[in-house]
Amino acid sequence: MSRLGGARIATLGLLAAASVGLWQALRLESWGFDGPGPGFFPQLMAGICVVLALIVLVFPGKAGETEGGDTEDAEATAETRRCFAIYAATLGLLAAGAMYAGFVVTTIAVTVVIVRFAERRSLTAALGYGVACAVIGLVCFGWLLRVDLPEGPIERAFYTFVH
Amino acid sequence: MEALLGGFAVTLTLDNLLYCFVGVFLGTVVGILPGLGPLTTIAILLPITFKMDVTSAIIMLSGIYYGVAYGGTVTSVLMRIPGEASSVVTCLDGYEMARKGRAGAALGIAGIGSFVAGTVGVIGISFLSPPLAELVIKFGPAEYAMLMLAGLTMVTYMSSGSLARSLLMAAFGLLLGTVGSDPLNMTPRLTFGILALGDGVNLVPLAIGLFGLSEVLFMGRQKLEDMKVLAPPTGLLGFLPSREEARRSVGPVARGTVMGFLVGLLPGGGAVLASFLSYGIERKLSKHPEEFGKGAVEGLAGPESANNSGTAGAFVPLLCMGIPSNAVTALLLGAFIIHGVTPGPTILERQPEIFWGVVASMYIGNVMLLVLNLPLIGLFVRILDIPRAYLAPMILAVCLIGVYSSSGNPADVVIAVIFGFVGYGLRRHGFDLGIVILAYVLGPIFERSVRQALAISDGDPSIFFHSTLSTGFAIVAVVLLLLGLWPKRRAARA
Repeated sequence: MSRLGGARIATLGLLAAASVGLWQALRLESWGFDGPGPGFFPQLMAGICVVLALIVLVFPGKAGETEGGDTEDAEATAETRRCFAIYAATLGLLAAGAMYAGFVVTTIAVTVVIVRFAERRSLTAALGYGVACAVIGLVCFGWLLRVDLPEGPIERAFYTFVH
Repeated sequence: MEALLGGFAVTLTLDNLLYCFVGVFLGTVVGILPGLGPLTTIAILLPITFKMDVTSAIIMLSGIYYGVAYGGTVTSVLMRIPGEASSVVTCLDGYEMARKGRAGAALGIAGIGSFVAGTVGVIGISFLSPPLAELVIKFGPAEYAMLMLAGLTMVTYMSSGSLARSLLMAAFGLLLGTVGSDPLNMTPRLTFGILALGDGVNLVPLAIGLFGLSEVLFMGRQKLEDMKVLAPPTGLLGFLPSREEARRSVGPVARGTVMGFLVGLLPGGGAVLASFLSYGIERKLSKHPEEFGKGAVEGLAGPESANNSGTAGAFVPLLCMGIPSNAVTALLLGAFIIHGVTPGPTILERQPEIFWGVVASMYIGNVMLLVLNLPLIGLFVRILDIPRAYLAPMILAVCLIGVYSSSGNPADVVIAVIFGFVGYGLRRHGFDLGIVILAYVLGPIFERSVRQALAISDGDPSIFFHSTLSTGFAIVAVVLLLLGLWPKRRAARA
């Protein structure tokens, strides 16, 4: 996929999001007895977004230099693609883990997937590092700093033990 | 002066000194690590500050912001890898000096220049903020709306991409800011019946998704290459520049400091633009322009000073007008708002301890950075040895903690993941996400000002042109849009 093609696909996504936003915003009252209503600004912004997305679709223009990002299309090898796919999958794992599994299990699972499967390190190293990250997070953030962490059976057992 | 001394009293407590140290230390580390910028770090650490005192939280987050400019110098000089965007110019002459065996002098000049510029920048904040706040307090909704419009237009104009793309990012950010309850009458908007969107898209999952999680995705597709690190000096004396190098640095440091601070005041300005402008000016003024890119002292001293005073300058519009001039200060504004403080002209009257406490912490933070940067460079360079395999899970775990702790709602983690993919797609194809965050944070204030102004005028849009100030801001916005459309101008700037 060329970069121009990718930019157009990204713009199409923005156009779709803005169109859906405009459709929702049009259901809101744009003007009330006391002036602009709740729909005034979303309608205006969604409309502008749709128009600009159409302009960028036709004239994609120059790509910007984005912070930390990389607009160069590196020659993706099969290994790079495999690695990226696993990294992308870990984000799904992160979301599902936060919903159902709690902090410790999610952290260990994400670490093992990245260290073992994406980076091909030993399972012992992956597990050891995952457990270390989870324990440091639970003790330092969850217990000492009293930060809310996603809770599962392990976290509940730990808090019962330390409190 | 009395108020500033009060600020020192706030900062010189054990807690605040510790938070200041943690901030500048993290900033230095982040500046050294390529790719992990201040935006990502502040986004990730923002929720951790929720249970802190507001002054301590802002002291720490500000420390990260100005600490990054120092840290980025180390990798630029020793490895030709800019740890952060504002250090790109440092690579050109800093690395060449290091190759000629003057690594210590390059780091010393950069460190001392950064300290001088950072300190002068903070003095500028101290003296410029009170009169500016007095002026801004007279603004009505129409002036505020037009000021924000001019600011947003300037940010899109300064962006490196095409004008249409930048404007699209601004509109997208403003649209995201409308999701959730209407700020004036609490009507739910653009929630699609999803309960998790009732309070809108929160800043933390949005910022962590767009910057933190998308960064992990970028790590997944990076090629791993061996990095060559030039050795830093071992003793403190090794950082001292020669008499000739010191003489050649004085002018560029002075010019970079003043110019960087002024650029930092502009919306869209800040450290990156300041460093590039300074390099151009020094090259133009130099009697030996042919030395630039081959280890010219002026090409290092000027930009290094400019990026530090530019960072300080960006605090003036943030603190006095409540208007961020770039994405990082937009996140800092978000941090203020989350802590129940609205920066703006009234902050000096209502919460002077926060304003002057943060300003005083910058004086102290600059001294800490000088002490940290010279003797500990050897240690910092070793941070680069952390392999990606271990860095990525650590970032993901901190992102998970950050997003979840901001609301205690697992749905926010899902939202962050969605924005992680959105951010990756947009960054990969050259869309500037900094504008999205800036527009998102400004959106509710902008909307409120526009609606209040139109309500006052009974829907008559000419209210935006009733006062000279608001007309002036509108003219600035239109002129910038026209300049942005002028292809030759944009091509030259690019």
